[in-house]
Amino acid sequence: MPPPFATWSIPEGAPLPLPAAVHLGADADNAPGLEVLEVGTHWLQELASRLRGSGEVLRSRPVDDLIETLGRVGSRFLEPGDPLRAQALEALPSTTGLSPEMAAAVLDGMAADWTPERLARTVKADFPDPRVLDGFVPGDRRSLRALGPGLCFQLVSGSVPGVGATALLRSLLVKAPTLVKPGRGDVVLPVLLARALREEDPEVGRALAVVYWPGGRQELEDVALQAADVVTAYGGDANVGTLRRRTPVTTRFLAYHHRVSVGVVGREGLADACVHRVVSGVAGAVAFFDQRGCVSPQIVFVEEGGSVEPWTFAERLAHALAEVETRLPAGHLDAQEASALHQARGTAEVMAASGTGVRVLHGDDATWTVIYDPAGTVELACVGRVVRVRPVKDVSQIPVRLHSLRGHLQTVAWAGLDERLAPLAEALARAGATRIAPFDAAPFPPAGWRHDGRGPLEELVRWVDLEG
Amino acid sequence: MTLDDPARDLQDLFARGVDTPLDDEAFNRWGLRVFAYQFRANPTYRGFCAGRGVSPETVTHWTSIPAVPTTAFKFVELVSATDGAREAVFRTSGTTSGSEVRGTHVVPRMALYRASALPNLHAHLNPDDESLAVLSLIPHPDAAPESSLSTMMGFAAEAWAGSAHWVGHPVDGPDPHAFVVAARQLAKAGAPALVAGTAFAFVHLLDALTELGVSVELPPGSRLMETGGFKGRSRSVERDVLYARLEERLGVSTSRMVNEYGMTELLSQLYEPVLRVGKGGRGVHVPPPWLRVRALDPVTLEPAPQGVPGLLAFFDLANLGSVSHVLTQDLGVMDGRGVRLMGRAPGAEPRGCSLALEDVLAAESRQ
Repeated sequence: MPPPFATWSIPEGAPLPLPAAVHLGADADNAPGLEVLEVGTHWLQELASRLRGSGEVLRSRPVDDLIETLGRVGSRFLEPGDPLRAQALEALPSTTGLSPEMAAAVLDGMAADWTPERLARTVKADFPDPRVLDGFVPGDRRSLRALGPGLCFQLVSGSVPGVGATALLRSLLVKAPTLVKPGRGDVVLPVLLARALREEDPEVGRALAVVYWPGGRQELEDVALQAADVVTAYGGDANVGTLRRRTPVTTRFLAYHHRVSVGVVGREGLADACVHRVVSGVAGAVAFFDQRGCVSPQIVFVEEGGSVEPWTFAERLAHALAEVETRLPAGHLDAQEASALHQARGTAEVMAASGTGVRVLHGDDATWTVIYDPAGTVELACVGRVVRVRPVKDVSQIPVRLHSLRGHLQTVAWAGLDERLAPLAEALARAGATRIAPFDAAPFPPAGWRHDGRGPLEELVRWVDLEG
Repeated sequence: MTLDDPARDLQDLFARGVDTPLDDEAFNRWGLRVFAYQFRANPTYRGFCAGRGVSPETVTHWTSIPAVPTTAFKFVELVSATDGAREAVFRTSGTTSGSEVRGTHVVPRMALYRASALPNLHAHLNPDDESLAVLSLIPHPDAAPESSLSTMMGFAAEAWAGSAHWVGHPVDGPDPHAFVVAARQLAKAGAPALVAGTAFAFVHLLDALTELGVSVELPPGSRLMETGGFKGRSRSVERDVLYARLEERLGVSTSRMVNEYGMTELLSQLYEPVLRVGKGGRGVHVPPPWLRVRALDPVTLEPAPQGVPGLLAFFDLANLGSVSHVLTQDLGVMDGRGVRLMGRAPGAEPRGCSLALEDVLAAESRQ
């Protein structure tokens, strides 16, 4: 068994001795668990000041140079045989609950955005002239400068591995000294990335720290919320909401709260010639991240009147999910998730028996579950590859049905729309969607995407206008 | 077979009291009989069981009878009454987030609820059969007709000889002034009382009494029943701390405080047998003989090994008029005498950034 994973990366020569580490048991049986620092408020305060103090050096580095450095290290996660990738692959399954196959696929998808080329594209998307990150750039009757915060606190929860590492890269790209508090299930990648950056480039390494502490340590969160200029919070609505309330009014607070994604399959995609490909695309999007991603479609609307009807589509989707299970097995469910799955399946079975038209297909021990729900009555928490299929007469009816989700809607994955895509996209955009993408592309938004409708780098910076 | 035949026999069974054991074989006979009735009388449950390939003809042990998840009570009425009777409709209280769909338990025969609940409550909170007064922070059944808990307190108030004082309100919670007036009246009369309330109501009462700077001294022999957790509430207080504060403010010894565990979906309850066996009863919840509890592995739903926490499944014969076998989301560990409760199955931290649709869509359905 590998040793427990040490959940921190702290710049060397810290002003105070490192707190003691304790062992935290793992969720999964036989997993090595985590080593966790017993962080105190005073120590965290000191760490924050030290990070802030390293900002000057970081700001003196040209953005192109940073892209190169960060991308060089980020690419190592893709390199077969690189020890960094090997360490990640070893530690990910037991800490995330994902299967080894899925963890590897997630790493490949996430790290693809950490190469120099992709990072450059990410910067370009938000700053068409990236030199604004290095100094004032003359423009139309004014010069512009984009300054990253003096200290960025990235608070990430959840266990979609890669979110924390991407968050770290984003703030380093705008030259912000950064403190990352990762989620328990996403602790490995930011820690490994930070350690490798420290080795690669000590100047950058001094400006970043990753440290995990178990959730609910409000006094620690408060230290970081007070110390930072910009706070980025990823997590559930309730958590993000309380963090927002505790953040000083002068501090910029960026919320990545809960999101919901859905899918749309038009009748053009239900023709005999292409339905197989469409079904496997939908299955892949549902299975990826074991339905934990904000990009994971939870409801798939299927149009009636194609050569395959929605119920048959649901049956085919079940087969496809069973097939995905053999290639990318679902991971381990903790007690709460397993309980939620039993509740969801059993309730759907009861509804099926009560004449609602609901039908349920599932993989027994495998978590995949397809709930065919013609009346839209099944309101159950999704967990572990559970997807609802809802028939619709026409795809144009979908946007209005998404009304209640508008505050949370994110990706709408699509297939089989042909020339109807453009008008539907406009309606979906007005209904609150921030991303409309083919099912195959749904799990991994491209570099430079407007994350939840905003430029993720631009929102970190402070613009300065120089006139005259 | 109508509901009345098995209902009458069950009432006789419950009337034997909680101290008359029901051995495994006898319980199994009862379980199979109740299942045969529910399978016939409840088309939804029949369809659910048929989907799992189980029918009265194929099943030989009650543990193989399909359990309905508690969540199903939110979406479907599970009534086993061929005559369509609905003497009560109980609803779960939901959480403060308010967006939750509430579970519904239709009760065709109130007599069966009373027959199950009262002797058990009596055995655990009035084992010496005294003429107790009731001082209830739980609202009067007329004020909360959909509350199974209010209904149960109504049974006690009606059955016991003492006076009854209702100081709870379904929305505003307990009225501290009314509580103090009633408590002083009882103290003056020297009438021992059962003080009953939810943990949440007691916390609010204590806060109010502290603010008013008031303590009361309930008469010797009084006892307290506390129920419900703090699920979804903004404030939680450890039970030990709560009990110590209650002792200080109300003059009831912590050794006379009993926790009740019940749920809207079940017509039978479990109690800590503190007044029956003393301190050793703390932390263990004991079911009546007509209610069986199992802790199941959360993934496989096979019985969890001794000492290992599992999801609690209940088989309640008193649920004849709905569904007897119910799978909850609560974790517990089986203990020789009963079950040690551990609350809702914990997730270390919420996983993923996808929203549990339940809340959002529930809000939609209310609009």
